[in-house]
Amino acid sequence: MSALADLLSSGIVRTVLIGAAMLGAISGMLGAFAVLRRQSLLGDALSHAALPGVCLGFIIAGTRDLGSILVGAFITGALAALIMMLIVRRTTLKTDAALGIVLSVFFAVGVVLLSWVQDQGGAASAGLASFLFGQAAAILRSDLWIMGGVGLVALALVLALWKEFKLVSFDADFARAQGFPVTLLEATLTVMVALSIVVGLQLVGVVLMVALLIAPAAAARQWATTLGPMVALSAAIGAASGASGALVSATTRGLATGPVVVLIATAAVVISLLIAPQRGLLWQALAARRARARISDGRVLTTLQGLAAAHHDASYPAERGMLETALGARAPTARIAALERRGLIHPVTHPPETTPHWELTEAGHAEAASLSGKPAPAQDGGTQ
Amino acid sequence: MRDDSLHEPGQALHIEDITVSYGANPALWDIDLDIPPGVMCAIVGPNGAGKSTLIKTALGLVRPVAGHVRFLGRPVAQMRGKIGYVPQRHSVDWDFPTTVRDVVEMGLYQQLGWFRRPGAQAHARALEALAEVGMQDYAGRQISQLSGGQQQRVFIARALVQDAPILILDEPLAGVDAATEAVIIALLQRLRDAGRTIIVVHHDLTTVQSYFDWLVMLNVRIIAQGPMAEVYTPKNLRAAYGRQLAMIATPREESTL
Repeated sequence: MSALADLLSSGIVRTVLIGAAMLGAISGMLGAFAVLRRQSLLGDALSHAALPGVCLGFIIAGTRDLGSILVGAFITGALAALIMMLIVRRTTLKTDAALGIVLSVFFAVGVVLLSWVQDQGGAASAGLASFLFGQAAAILRSDLWIMGGVGLVALALVLALWKEFKLVSFDADFARAQGFPVTLLEATLTVMVALSIVVGLQLVGVVLMVALLIAPAAAARQWATTLGPMVALSAAIGAASGASGALVSATTRGLATGPVVVLIATAAVVISLLIAPQRGLLWQALAARRARARISDGRVLTTLQGLAAAHHDASYPAERGMLETALGARAPTARIAALERRGLIHPVTHPPETTPHWELTEAGHAEAASLSGKPAPAQDGGTQ
Repeated sequence: MRDDSLHEPGQALHIEDITVSYGANPALWDIDLDIPPGVMCAIVGPNGAGKSTLIKTALGLVRPVAGHVRFLGRPVAQMRGKIGYVPQRHSVDWDFPTTVRDVVEMGLYQQLGWFRRPGAQAHARALEALAEVGMQDYAGRQISQLSGGQQQRVFIARALVQDAPILILDEPLAGVDAATEAVIIALLQRLRDAGRTIIVVHHDLTTVQSYFDWLVMLNVRIIAQGPMAEVYTPKNLRAAYGRQLAMIATPREESTL
C-alpha cells in the first residue's frame, strides 16, 4: 500500500490518473448512446479525422498550444462527419463505405501534414507525433479543467435530455413524428462524442480512441437490462479502465498509458461477453447444457417407466444394457448418478446377475408420468 | 409563414397534389386524398406502391416535392401528439435495453414537454394502454423477450397512450399470429366506434373487406378511394394490381361480369 501512496504523491501520476479516469467516464457515458445508435464506427472516423486538425492547429498557432490544437481537431472531425452524412444522403454508398472512405482520406491527409510539419523542424513539432498513440505524461493540470468542463457539460446534457436521447436512440422515426427536433438531438449527441474524442486525443491518441467509446458500452450492455444502469455502468467501466491503466503504466516502465487503458477496457468486454448472466456465452452454454441434461434425464425416466409398464411391475429392475437398448443411446454414468441423487431412481441388485440394475422410485414414476403425459402405473411395489 | 385558417377541417386527413420522388422515379404521383373522421380506413396496393411513403409523407417524415397535408384542417406541425403513429415493427432494434412500460411511456414524451421525466401518472396511463392490448402482465418485461405479436401490441399501446383522435398504423398485422390479429382488429374497431379515425396500411386483400369500412387503393397514383362497398370492385383491383389480381382476390361482383 505504501508503494501506492508513494505513487500517488507524485503530481504527474495523480494528474494522469484523474485525467484517464475522467476521460473513461465521459467516453463511456457517451459511447453507450453511440453503440445503441449503431454509430460505434462514427467515433473511429471522427478520431482519425482529428489528426489533420491537430496539425493545422499547430501550423496556425505556430506552437504546440493545446487550445488551438483541440479546436483544429474538433473542426476537421466535424467536417468529416458532415462529409460522411452528405455521402450517405446524396450517393448510393452505404454508411460503412462512407465511413471507410472518410476515415482513410482524413487520416492520410493528417499523416502527410504531420510528416511535413516535422520536416519543417522546430523542437515543438516533435511532440505532435504523440497524438497518434497518445502520451499521457504530456498531460497538464490545466488540461484536467478542460476535461472536467467537457465532462460536466456532457453529464448535464444527458441528464436534462435523458428521455429525448432515449427516444431518439430507440426510434428516431417515431420521435420525428411526435415533433421532436431529431436532427438537432442527434447532432448534439454526435458533437458530444466528438468533444470527448478531442479531449482524449492527448491521452489515448487518434488511432485507439474509438476503443474507449465502444468497449465500456459493449461491456455494460451485457450486464444492464435498462438504459439508465447501462449508461452508468458504461461510465464506471470507462473510469475504472482509465484509472487502472494509468496505475499499471505508472508502475511498469515502458508501458504507454493509452494502449494499456484500451487493453483493460477490452478485457472488461471479453469477461462480460463470457460470464454476464443471460447474455454471456458461458452462461448460455451452461443453460444449453442444463436443458440437454434435463431432456436426457427425462428420456431415461420415461424409458424406465415404459419397461416397468411392459413387465407389469412398477419396481421392475432394468439393467444398463436393457435401458440403453430401449433408449437407443448411451446412458451417461454422470446422469444416472444425478438421477440417483435426486431420488428418482434407485440402484438394486438382481441376483444371480451381478451387474447393476435400477428401478424407478415413486418420485421417479411421478416425474416420468408428468413428462410423458401418461398416468403412473398402479403403485404395487415401488421403492418407498 | 404560419397558416392559422383551417383548410378542409371536415376531413381527418386531407392530402392535395402530393408528389414524392426518390431520385428520378416518383414514389407518389399527384395524390389527392380525403379520409373522413370516424372511419377505419385501409390503404392497399402492390409492393412498391408507396403505401408507407404516403403515411410517412402525411406525418412529415418524408418531404414531398409538391402538395400539402392537413389533419382536421391543420398542418401536421400543429397536430403533434394528436396523431398516434405505429411504425413498422422492424424499424427498431428490439434488443434495446428497456422495458415494455418504458416503450409505452415514450408515447407521452411529447405531452410531457422538455426536461420533464414521466412520473406516477405516466406510469398509470402506460399500464392502462397496455391493458387495452392485453399486455398488462408484461409491463416490467425486457422488450428483447417479446414475440413478434407482443412487440406489435406494445407499439400499438405506445400510440394509444397519447389518446389521439387519429391513429396511423404501418402494416400492424405483418407477421403476427391469428390470435394477435383478432385482438388488434377488435381493438381498432372499438376505437373507431368511439369516434377515432384509424388509418392502416394493409397487405392482405382477403381480409380487407371484413376488417375495414373505408378503402384507399394506391399504386403510385390513387386508383380509387371511398367507402369499402364502392371501391372494392374488380375493375379497381385490376387497375391497382394488374395481372397479379387473379391469384389474390375475387370480390363477389365478379360473378356479375
